[in-house]
Amino acid sequence: MNRFAKYIAFTGCLALLLSFTGKHPQEPHVVTLRFHSVIGNHSLELGRSYVNALGDTIAVQRFKYYVSNIIITDAVGKDVYLFPRRYYLVDAEDSASQSIQLKIPALPLKQVRFTLGVDSIRNVSGVQTGALDPLHGMFWTWNSGYIMAKLEGVSSSAHVPGQRFTYHVGGFKAADNTARVITLDLPPGTAPVDEINIAADINAWFKGGFLLKIGEHPICHSPGGLAVQIADNYKGMFSISSVR
Amino acid sequence: MRFCKTIWVVVLLLVTGIAWVAADNAYFRPRPVKFTVPAGWPQPVYDFKSNPLTQEGIALGRELFYDGRLSKDGNFSCGSCHQQFGAFDTYDHNLSHGFDNSFTTRNAPGLFNLAWQKEFMWDGGINHLDLQPLAPLTAPNEMAETLENVMAKLKADKKYRAMFKAAFGDETINTQRMNKAISQFVLTLVSSNSKYDKVKRGEASFILPEQLGYDIFKKKCNSCHTEPLFTDFSYRNTGLKADPYLNDVGRMKITGNPADSLKFRVPSLRNVARTFPYGHDGRFFSLSSVFEHYRNGMTVMHNTDSLLQHKLALSNFEIGQLTAFLYTLTDSSFLTNPRFAPPGSENIGKAPVDIHL
Ligand code: HEC
Ligand code: HEC
Repeated sequence: MNRFAKYIAFTGCLALLLSFTGKHPQEPHVVTLRFHSVIGNHSLELGRSYVNALGDTIAVQRFKYYVSNIIITDAVGKDVYLFPRRYYLVDAEDSASQSIQLKIPALPLKQVRFTLGVDSIRNVSGVQTGALDPLHGMFWTWNSGYIMAKLEGVSSSAHVPGQRFTYHVGGFKAADNTARVITLDLPPGTAPVDEINIAADINAWFKGGFLLKIGEHPICHSPGGLAVQIADNYKGMFSISSVR
Repeated sequence: MRFCKTIWVVVLLLVTGIAWVAADNAYFRPRPVKFTVPAGWPQPVYDFKSNPLTQEGIALGRELFYDGRLSKDGNFSCGSCHQQFGAFDTYDHNLSHGFDNSFTTRNAPGLFNLAWQKEFMWDGGINHLDLQPLAPLTAPNEMAETLENVMAKLKADKKYRAMFKAAFGDETINTQRMNKAISQFVLTLVSSNSKYDKVKRGEASFILPEQLGYDIFKKKCNSCHTEPLFTDFSYRNTGLKADPYLNDVGRMKITGNPADSLKFRVPSLRNVARTFPYGHDGRFFSLSSVFEHYRNGMTVMHNTDSLLQHKLALSNFEIGQLTAFLYTLTDSSFLTNPRFAPPGSENIGKAPVDIHL
């Protein structure tokens, strides 16, 4: 019986030890970043015709971009939550791809920052997996590098076969870099945040510091000057539409 | 006491279980292969730590390299354009055949000593060896396939699932693993056993014309076709006017810089006797036509290389000696190594033909 007691004690200790090394029992709080596409005041429906900010009629068929290296700051301005080396491909066609879950405590938050695109190191490190898998058609095979963002559709202003405008914006080398850091301030508040809704306005692609007239530039398929100008425009496409 | 026994039985079962699992893993562990750097060569630039060579990885890469199913219609494997007897170029073709009666727009270079190469293609557009297969797989004038379809074909194949597991530990098949395996195979294509190499190692000696050719080579060619790899991997304009149908601007396509117009990577001259036709678009059908270009045919442009601003003076005598030397760069053991041939052909290899008599 004495031995039996020992076994009980031993198993008890073991169980206790295991409970220490095990996961924290409390479920961590999750903040969801939810992206949705708009064109001016309308929410974007793929394949439907709209008039863009420069008066060109467009129907968007494809709209995708990379979001990476997210950084969230809390409202006290003290704690910063970093999500390095995490890459998401937001695709207007795939609603699951539009929400990003981040483990952050229930807190009032102040700022969201992320990179639109893929940092240069991932552009020179061979074949990647997950969102960065070249399978997703966001990688140039003949001139290695990621397409940071893609916008395609038809427009009567595009004087090319199929009236298709195709903007594949990429380039990671110094002067050609098309990755952009986006900083968005949340409306001031004291309530803990569960969900941040971010609007991506396609109009920004066309009308920014540079006027992207489809008649003049229906196509961008390589790194260089035009891609950089479009990138400077799309840097301004995001805004926070609501916070819960 | 009964309880005690039960505990013992459980412990025993556990130990056997763990041992079984561990043994199983050991059994499946891929066997490492050492990459040997030939004496006197620089260190390779390929990062072997991120993709260690293993027997199983190399075997898988070789299987993929020679598998036509990776292309849309099943006809075009990597090996259909990169043929061993041509030092892995397309033998005797200025341009290579691709899907649906199309042609590539450039001459397929030989594949060897890729571990020392940082950038790939004539214009250096590809910045990592692991990325290279993506280009021919998806190009409409080469293998014309989508990566999704390639993945689906591989995943449906029992043999590939087993080979991926043997090479990488589990059956996951993705583009990264496929390309790493192909890299492993092509990295083993090291050509370092030509007569030239044997002379360098003191195992053979040049006959007189070869020696004279070598001396001329060191004076007139070595600054671009630098030993021991016979290229310095730079991009240079050698006064070749663009073919009006191909309109290939070369390096400028990648950099967008007009100063790089019509610059192409200096090709290695190893196995050059086997890699005809020559030049980025295969316009030269013989070595003598290349020499003729250097001494007469060149169109000197504003950005033609400073070493070639006055073309290259070469006498007929020098051309003869240079040719004799270039023939010593043929590595017949490389060209006939059964380990590089299509899988399963190990036993039908013929005796190596020594072509630098
Ligand atoms: C249809 C013919 C064709 C097929 C199929 C093909 N290649 Fe190539 N390969 C070429 C040509 C042509 C080039 C040169 C292209 C250029 O420089 O733009 C080339 C270039 C290369 C290079 C770069 C060599 C260097 O020195 O820069 C590598 C490596 C290579 N191929 C590997 C492969 C692999 C691996 C496959 C199979 C996945 C493959 N190739 C399939 C024709 C082909
Ligand atoms: C200024 C640098 C430079 C010098 C000097 C030079 N080459 Fe070249 N060579 C090149 C470049 C660049 C190419 C590729 C040209 C192209 O196709 O656009 C080339 C191509 C070749 C080729 C064709 C190889 C192939 O596989 O297509 C041969 C053969 C060759 N050179 C031999 C020589 C010899 C022999 C000498 C010395 C007499 C020499 N070269 C001097 C830069 C040079």
